[in-house]
Amino acid sequence: MSAPVLEISNLSVRLPNDLKVLNTVDLRVEPGEVRALVGESGAGKSMLGKAVLGILPAGLRQTGRITVLGQALDQLPASVRRREVARHVSLIPQDPLTALNPVRPIAAQMTDAMVRIHGWPRRKALARAADLLEQVHIRDVARVLKSYPHELSGGMRQRVLIAAAFATEPKLIVADEPTTALDATVQREILRIIRGLQQETGTTVLFVTHDMGVVAQISQRVTVLFGGRVVEHIDTEALFAGAGQGHAYSRALIRATPDWTRSDAPFAPVPPEVIADLMQEQTR
Amino acid sequence: MLLRSIISRLIAVAITLFGVAVVVFTLIRVAPGNPIAMMLPPGATAADIARLEALYGFDKSLPEQFVIWLKAVAQGDFGTSIIMRQPVAELVLERLPATLELALMALLLAVALGGLGAVVGARFRGRSPELGVDLGVGVGLSVPDFLWGLLLILLFGVLWPVLQISGRVDPRLAVDLSTNFYIIEGLLRGQWRLVQDVLAHMLMPALALSLPLAAMIAQVLKQSLKAELHLDYTQLARVRGLSETRVIVSEALRNAALPTLTLIGVQFTFLIGGTVIVERLFAYEGLGNMAIEAVINRDLPLIQGIVLLFALLFIVINLAVDLTYGLLNPRLRHG
Amino acid sequence: MVDISAPRAVVRAPNLRLWVPLCWLTLVGIAAVFAPWIAPHDPLAQDLMLGRLPPAWIAGSEPGYWLGTDDLGRDVLSRLIYGARIALIVAATAALLAGLVGSGLGLLAGFFGGWWDKCISRLVEIWMAFPPVLFAVLLVAVLGTGLGSVIAAIALIDWTRFVRVVRAETLVQARMDYIDSAVIGGASKLSVLRHEVLPNVLPAIIALLSLEMGIAVIVEAILSFVNLSLSSDAPTWGGMIAEGRASIYFAWWVLTFPLLTLFLTVLSFSQLGEGLKRHFDPVQT
Repeated sequence: MSAPVLEISNLSVRLPNDLKVLNTVDLRVEPGEVRALVGESGAGKSMLGKAVLGILPAGLRQTGRITVLGQALDQLPASVRRREVARHVSLIPQDPLTALNPVRPIAAQMTDAMVRIHGWPRRKALARAADLLEQVHIRDVARVLKSYPHELSGGMRQRVLIAAAFATEPKLIVADEPTTALDATVQREILRIIRGLQQETGTTVLFVTHDMGVVAQISQRVTVLFGGRVVEHIDTEALFAGAGQGHAYSRALIRATPDWTRSDAPFAPVPPEVIADLMQEQTR
Repeated sequence: MLLRSIISRLIAVAITLFGVAVVVFTLIRVAPGNPIAMMLPPGATAADIARLEALYGFDKSLPEQFVIWLKAVAQGDFGTSIIMRQPVAELVLERLPATLELALMALLLAVALGGLGAVVGARFRGRSPELGVDLGVGVGLSVPDFLWGLLLILLFGVLWPVLQISGRVDPRLAVDLSTNFYIIEGLLRGQWRLVQDVLAHMLMPALALSLPLAAMIAQVLKQSLKAELHLDYTQLARVRGLSETRVIVSEALRNAALPTLTLIGVQFTFLIGGTVIVERLFAYEGLGNMAIEAVINRDLPLIQGIVLLFALLFIVINLAVDLTYGLLNPRLRHG
Repeated sequence: MVDISAPRAVVRAPNLRLWVPLCWLTLVGIAAVFAPWIAPHDPLAQDLMLGRLPPAWIAGSEPGYWLGTDDLGRDVLSRLIYGARIALIVAATAALLAGLVGSGLGLLAGFFGGWWDKCISRLVEIWMAFPPVLFAVLLVAVLGTGLGSVIAAIALIDWTRFVRVVRAETLVQARMDYIDSAVIGGASKLSVLRHEVLPNVLPAIIALLSLEMGIAVIVEAILSFVNLSLSSDAPTWGGMIAEGRASIYFAWWVLTFPLLTLFLTVLSFSQLGEGLKRHFDPVQT
């Protein structure tokens, strides 16, 4: 088996009051894998993504090891770490409405990183940006490149952000709930686009989401988080096979995901006794 | 839509200008004391006074005087200075460049100092440099330019005498320029010694004027920078390898600048207003100093002219700020 | 980035913000009220033999002249103490006058809107087109010098500040539900204004009064500085500063002590105002 793209061992992140947002997390993501990181709000899934990217909020303390492509990031000086992350890791952010700089045209925002990270000439970067915009199903590429963010819809902006994430040819993409802020039809389209580009480029993706429906559509493996700890790592197919595989909490999460396509779909919140069991298990 | 809002703004400006003219005229004409009598040598006859009053139009009714005066003003005739016996317009325009250069220098300093404070405060937010900036802002906002000027005189004029504390230029220096924009024209003509000397004289009054505005800029800009730094696009810039300082300077700053720009526009007028006393403090030969001389000498036409010019400057600057604000904001420009 | 560590450092600041200025202002107040009993010398007494004496801790000083003497041999400390009287009288009266006129107009404009608002706002806009210092100087030139005209001039330039703040506050209050319920309950507009709106706007007015007193102290000092306030003999801080500016190379203390006093007083008034603003409305920080 080849070396993992991302390997996290014994990672903990503490608030200033010593509360642990992440607690002794281990995670290993193989090349080309789409790994879903799922949990309810407050489970620490977004924090994990931020820790990998090195953008934890000020005041949080991090212990443990994060290794990307064999390099232990936390051992590097801050400026080197920043450069390494920029070169190998991209982010698809959660809120497309605030993720583009309002005063700069799309073209500049997409090409800047390519020019800085790879030293490509501006023209080459622009051609690649145009190419990628086509791949994310944007029709009027020339116009979009020239426009400012406020001239584009939320779905369009998210496509631009996806194209921008792939533009620097990263080895790993952290997708931080990229569909949460969008409506359902756009969501499906965005997922298809990410999936398509991922398969074409073979990029590894860490997909942060709270939506089990999304997990089923996009990932090969799932890591379930609860209260800052890993509940389990499991193959997506196995978890959704309905054959009783996986942790009781993970299965409860699936049942708690509403299916808006069926009016008679059963909907059940995670039962308290499942959570009680889980908490007991974690304190052991 | 845009045109209509511009026109309604212009009408408002016209009304304000008229109001200003009424206020100035009324104040000057109800002033006690007879300025005409002051102009004449002791022992002048009543006939002399009457003749001079007729010359200045003081013998007609107040509304008549107002109309005559307003007509003249509209044609650029602001009357004649009683003390200096020169047309007011001439005197005022002669001094205006000195005041404008001082105000612009102060604005430049305020933007530089305030911007620096905001960036440092936002860069080290929640840590001691930000507290330092906040403290400076608190003091800067509470202490007006007059006091800053005096403090600077005490510090750099007396305790550590490195800078000039009075005048605009060393009187021994021969000034051979065709306008009174000493710095601008001096730069264009390459007269470095003159420019250097003028700058050395200007630095302290300009600093005194700039500190309150610098504090305001630091406060407002820092706040909007911090708000921008919560948004995802700055997050994304960090992930793409920009250092925190560069995220602030090259990504967040332009977005955060919009509220600050409006503030600067409005506050710049207050800064110009501050030149009156600061020029007096530093014996700087500008409009403000002349205004106070005029008040002390009860030179009413001259006061009138200066006050009107200041008011006009205020109104024009505010209008310009309103109009350019739209151009700077792409969301408004395209929206 | 979320700054989790940020708020901790700021939490204790507001209390200091109230108490330190209050202590200084009380001191100035005591000096003003009890000036004849506190001041070691007659503030007007000249003694050319004792001119330009340095402060007590510097060689060449005379006992009893703690902060030295000015060019004419007048005791700096005594003049400062008597100067506090003039400064506080001007500050309090001018601020109150400006506050009364400005708050009244602001309430009318904000509460009744329509023509009231249009006319008052236009008047404020015209007023704001004048540079305040120049306007004050001009007003004193027109009204003549003396305590009364200084107070009138300051009130006449600064009432607009109250109008703007009070009008905005009133607009906010007028939109609140309790106003509607009072009107539905049959209260007259004027009684709603007095009993419902005014009490809610009052905190803002009080905070503004403190700020305004600081501004009034400065304007008075400026007018004295250009010799337009009281007779040049009267012990005013601004007048002392003007004398100190003139003899700055011979006797630094003549400028330094009144400047320091003025600095602390102005800083205290404005910090007190800010502190009060936060005290009344902790959300608005």
